[in-house]
Parts: sequence; structure tokens; C-alpha cells
Amino acid sequence: MKVINKIFNHYWSPYIAIGIAGILSALYFGITKTVWAVTGEFTRLGGNILQLFGVDISDWAYFQLIHMQGTTFSRTDGWIVWGMFIGALMMVLFSNSFKIRIPKQKRRLIQGLIGGIIAGFGARLALGCNLAAFFTGVPQFSLHSWIFMVATGIGTFIGTKIVQLKWWKGKPVLLKGNTAEILKKKHPIQPYIGGLVAILYIGIIVYLFSTGKTMLGVAAIFGAAFGILIERGQICFTSAFRDLWISGRATMTKAILLGMAISSVATLIVIIAYGLEPVTKIAAPSTFIGGLLFGLGIVLASGCETGMMYRLMEGQVHYLMVFIGNVFGATLLSYAWDHLGVYNYLVKNGKPINLITVMGPASALIITLILLALCFIIAVYWQKNYRFEVGFKKGDHNKHVH
Amino acid sequence: MSIDFTLDIRGESCPYPVIYTLETLKDMEKGKILQVITDCPSSFRNVPEEVVKHGYQMAQEPMKNGREYLFYIIA
Repeated sequence: MKVINKIFNHYWSPYIAIGIAGILSALYFGITKTVWAVTGEFTRLGGNILQLFGVDISDWAYFQLIHMQGTTFSRTDGWIVWGMFIGALMMVLFSNSFKIRIPKQKRRLIQGLIGGIIAGFGARLALGCNLAAFFTGVPQFSLHSWIFMVATGIGTFIGTKIVQLKWWKGKPVLLKGNTAEILKKKHPIQPYIGGLVAILYIGIIVYLFSTGKTMLGVAAIFGAAFGILIERGQICFTSAFRDLWISGRATMTKAILLGMAISSVATLIVIIAYGLEPVTKIAAPSTFIGGLLFGLGIVLASGCETGMMYRLMEGQVHYLMVFIGNVFGATLLSYAWDHLGVYNYLVKNGKPINLITVMGPASALIITLILLALCFIIAVYWQKNYRFEVGFKKGDHNKHVH
Repeated sequence: MSIDFTLDIRGESCPYPVIYTLETLKDMEKGKILQVITDCPSSFRNVPEEVVKHGYQMAQEPMKNGREYLFYIIA
């Protein structure tokens, strides 16, 4: 019982959760030759919605680029997305923590939508979100992910300046005295619902394998595993950047850097052992601008395309708006790609560059690990010395320092 | 323990729980006790962490109250 209590009623160390995710994403690549990603599927979902309204998207270049075929249930990327939702939901239910949470300040809903659209547009402009252009992009040794990461850092910095403005931030409810109501303990029913969801989902996985849709079954399993990990570890890519600029918190920054280091080693092993080609995306001005917009959007929305997923499953209504925004923004980009000349202006002159091709596998790994270690050291220093509203200034800035 | 102020940030998600808590503490008289009510799971972790890092003390252990948490912080 103690172990079960520890697994389901406590959040896990983000280092362990993201470390496992790093290894799993390398394995997933080895099996399916695609990477753990979500926004590509969001774009295809947007395409499916357009088709539903009778829009002919067959000649949209972006949908051809991302292999718009079938339905979300016949695509591995689709099962990754639904698996993540279900895996996260199961954990939320097992820990009896589902609750409809509605922001008291209604402006949050609009902010979520606006931020979601900007983040969705930016992520797809760069050909991936924090996963394909970052967490699974760095371990593929694709140069574009480093450009994306730097740009995301700048974008999130701008974002934190906006969200701390009075009219954006709003005011909380502060009352005198004690207004808390202590709730009576009730026998939880959510874990049973979670068990039911788990059984149904296992049934779906068995069905996929038994009908020969092996890759879809694999994606369904890995999707659920990723969902479980990001929910239990409360993995938040937005926080990894944003919290540095706000209060100097670097817990998530360090955990994600460590996860990428582990994943880089594991992915290189997979690449060499199976003789696979790493997944390399175009590095172009679009990568930088996309990262900038993505960074800005995720801070305005209070979550990225990945963090949004488990928060929505926790019952946070705010993130429904972010999800709608993400799909809308991604679809907008796929229209702008050829119809508004985005490709011609920002992408055409770029090319896919992979560190393995440029300098060989050993050097690529060493350089990647050194850069990640350097970022880790900066994050440690940052956490130690950066404070809310004062930054790095030393001295008598806080009357409460003990 | 007598609670002087209650900051009710249920429904708010990151980064607002941390921002609101630190801002409120800064404006409070030293030694007074702030109670924070929150229901965003990420804030169960980052609010106590940031409060302590910024030099404040927790008056007692955080209390789980159904699907919410109560924090007691000495300004």
C-alpha cells in the first residue's frame, strides 16, 4: 500500500519523470522512426476540422509537408496525443485530484486563447513545439532546435514583461483574517473511474495490436506513458524559461536539461545501433521567429502545447481555451505557409543541418553535452542569485532576508 | 496561530500564484501571518519553494484540504 500511495498520491521528482521520458522518446524513435511530438497532430486536427466544414485543403503545401492523411485515429502522432491525454487523466483520477477549476478573473480565458494562438502559430512556423524542436530535437542533433531554444528564451522574457503588467495580471482576492473552509474527508470515487478508463484504454491497445495496427498500438502505449510522466512530474516547459525571468526558479530548467542530456545519449545509441537517419528539420529565419512567437505565446497562455494537456485533464478550464488557441494558431500557420508567402520569405533559404553530418557522431554528442552542461551551470547560478522584482542586485533589497 | 490575511488564488495557474504570494508578502507587516489557498497542482510545489527562497518562513506544514492546499507563511 505504501508504494501505491507514493506513486499515486505524490507528485514525482521532475528529474526522474523527465529522465524516463528522455529514454522512452529515444526508444519510441527506434521503433517508429518518428519523434515524440504533438503540434504536428494539432495542425492535422485543424485540417480535419476544415475538411468537416467542406474546405478543400488538398493543395495546401503545409498539409502535404506534414503528411495529412487519414484521421487522427489512423496516425501514430494521433495516438501519441490521445494517449497523453488519457495517461494524464488516469493519473489525475487515481490521485483523486480532478476538479473543475475556473479562473476567478475571466480575462484569463481570453489571455489563454490569445497566447495559445500565438504559441500554436510559432511552434508550427518552426516545424515543432518544445518537443520536436527542443526536447526531442536536441537529442536528434538537429541544429534548428538550438536556434529555437535561444529564440524561445527571448520570447518568454518578453512574455514575462507583459504578464506582469497591472492590466494583464489583475488583482487577487486578499481578505483579512481566515476565510478558509476546512473540508470533510469523503471516500474517493475518482480512483475507480480512473481504473475504468485504464481498462478501456488497455482494451483499445489490445484491439490495435490484434488487428495488425502494431505501430498505432506502440504509439498508444508510449503516448500514455508520456502523459503519465508529464502529469506525475508536473513537467512544464513554460516554467523552465519563464520562472527564471520572474523569480529565478530553475527546478524545471535543470530537470529538462538533464532529460535532454540523457535522451541525447540514448538517441545516439539508437541511431547507431539501428542505422537510422536522425530527424532533422530546416534551420531558417522561420525557426528563430517561430521560437520567439512560441516563447511569447506560452507565457501569455500560462502553458505550452504539452503542459496544457495534463492541466486540461486536471480540470483547469483555462487550458481548454489554450488548446483551442493552439489548434487555431497551427491551422492559421498552415494557411499562411503558401497563401501568404511565409515559406518563400522565411523558410525557402534555410536547410536542414544535423550536427552528426557536420562533425560526426562523437563530436556531435560531446558538443551537445557540453552546451547542455553549460546551460545547467547557468541555471544553478541563476536560481541561487536571482530574486523576484530585484533580479541580481545585491544588498538591502529585501527587508525580510534572514 | 492567528491568521492575519487570506489570499485566495483558487483557479489561478502559473505564474500568478507565485507572483501574487510574493507581492502580498512584500506589502505585509513583518511577523504577520498569510494564509494562501490554492488549487493549481504546480503551485503546491513552486509557492512554498519560492517563498522560502525569498527569505520567508512557513509558519507550519502545508495542509491538504480536499483538492486544495493551504499554506501558512510568516511575512
